[in-house]
Amino acid sequence: MLWLQVLVNGLAVGGLYACIAVGFSLVWGVLNIINILHGSLIVLGGYLAFFAHQYWGINPFLFAPLAGAVMFAGGVALQYCVINHVMARPFLITLLLTFGLNLFLDNSMLALFSADYRKVLLNPAPGVFDLGSIVVPADRIYATLVGLVLISALALLLRFTQFGRAIIAVRMDRDAAALLGVNVRWTYAVAFGLGVFMAGSAGALLSAIFPISPVASAGYLSKAFVICVIGGLGSIPGAVIGGFALGVIESFGALLLGPEHALTLAFVLLIALLAVRPSGLLGRQGFA
Amino acid sequence: MTGTLLKVEGLETGYGDIQVVWRADLEVRQGAITALIGSNGAGKTTLLRALSGLLPLRNGAIFVSGRDLAGASPQQFVEHGVAHVPEGRRLITGLSVHDNLMLGAYRRKDGKQAIRADLERMYALFPRLAERRRQDATTMSGGEQQMCAIARGLMAAPGLLLIDELSLGLAPAIVDQLVTTLERVRADGTSILLVEQDVGIALELADFVYVMDQGRTVRNGPADEIAADPSIIAAYMGT
Ligand SMILES: Nc1ncnc2c1ncn2[C@@H]1O[C@H](COP(=O)(O)OP(=O)(O)OP(=O)(O)O)[C@@H](O)[C@H]1O
Ligand SMILES: [Mg+2]
Repeated sequence: MLWLQVLVNGLAVGGLYACIAVGFSLVWGVLNIINILHGSLIVLGGYLAFFAHQYWGINPFLFAPLAGAVMFAGGVALQYCVINHVMARPFLITLLLTFGLNLFLDNSMLALFSADYRKVLLNPAPGVFDLGSIVVPADRIYATLVGLVLISALALLLRFTQFGRAIIAVRMDRDAAALLGVNVRWTYAVAFGLGVFMAGSAGALLSAIFPISPVASAGYLSKAFVICVIGGLGSIPGAVIGGFALGVIESFGALLLGPEHALTLAFVLLIALLAVRPSGLLGRQGFA
Repeated sequence: MTGTLLKVEGLETGYGDIQVVWRADLEVRQGAITALIGSNGAGKTTLLRALSGLLPLRNGAIFVSGRDLAGASPQQFVEHGVAHVPEGRRLITGLSVHDNLMLGAYRRKDGKQAIRADLERMYALFPRLAERRRQDATTMSGGEQQMCAIARGLMAAPGLLLIDELSLGLAPAIVDQLVTTLERVRADGTSILLVEQDVGIALELADFVYVMDQGRTVRNGPADEIAADPSIIAAYMGT
């Protein structure tokens, strides 16, 4: 029964983890940028949810899309005004830029909010769903459900709207997309904004489950990275599979090696996976 | 059948420091099929890229229906009714035929109904595409891809369709079919500027022909006049 409980614990955060990773995967797949800022954006979303709860009593699980929407606007502006200028430059330059932005945002948040760990304390506490021999923590289930809803909405947007088609066109062939009348720079900006939307939402969803602090941003970035590589870059189903896989791996890692080594096991398995399937479980070109 | 749709005067363009087109002058009349021929590397593709806003002008002017579009963006060219079917088709990998065609309508503002009607018109014009509307466009045969690229261009509801290399790499039977289709497209009201390396096809399809050489438009005339010119035949027909 212990093993079943550990498995369920892992699956319960799967949708939340997918939500952490899907924006990172989108930005990597479409803009070809490894967005080092992603972890800090998650933390920022967590703070928005924390203060929304503290001052207005808004439930973070319901607040998540709103946090995402606010940050979406900032993400579009940041990409259009700053990152766009280095889009045509080598990969390392964009990596360096987002690394710099990450330092800036982390330190701004340190100055504003201090390094203290904060967490949304819901009242009444969400508690657990008691299934007899195992229990399922309710807060994780809420986060996973909302996360999966947001991911599905993103998938539908990309698959069935003109804008979604334009994102894929820009990814595959910039000039051809431009000839069809797609504004390439603007499309990049909105795609980046969507990545930020998902990061902000994920941050709000986890604010009642995991501690929020600027010093936690690197941890969330690592999770996003591992999930994308496990699931395979450039696909939403890949991020979802990777999210559930990391949840389960961490859960067993914590059981076998102790909680502080939960992510270690994930990295070890990741290296093993890369040796066998370099493109990840569902990896493919582009993004859909 | 009257009026000038596109007028290009003294156009110069190129890539960065490399100038490729030194002087292009040409005119496309409303309702006409105009061909641009010339040897490899003459600058035909480069000229078309400038005529759809992908390359900045060094000099010269582009008028579309009398409006000066020098320095305009690709989006503006599309909005003013110029659609470009690029060399090599450039369909979007990972998207179905349907999605590629829908992208052709990206800048249209006349509503879902009109777009849907045009989509059905394309499937009627190219029944092969209708059979394959759910297939990844880049997995089709070369001929089918060219049909899809032309249909995608037409989905913009353009007044002028620029086609770069219609027949390249295609079987003669498919080319004949495309030629017939383009005559219908013209009859339906879309003028065409065609870049074509097969001079025989260009002369068959076009009303008026421009010859480009080393970045300059060096000759022009009605298709039958150019077809009767022994120097053209010697230079471009390989006989
Ligand atoms: N991206 C580029 N950068 C620099 N030079 C280029 C570029 N593309 C083309 N050129 C040069 O411009 C010249 C004209 O090329 P262009 O493709 O316009 O010729 P073309 O008439 O279309 O030839 P073809 O019949 O082979 O298609 C060539 O000398 C080519 O090397
Ligand atoms: Mg060419």
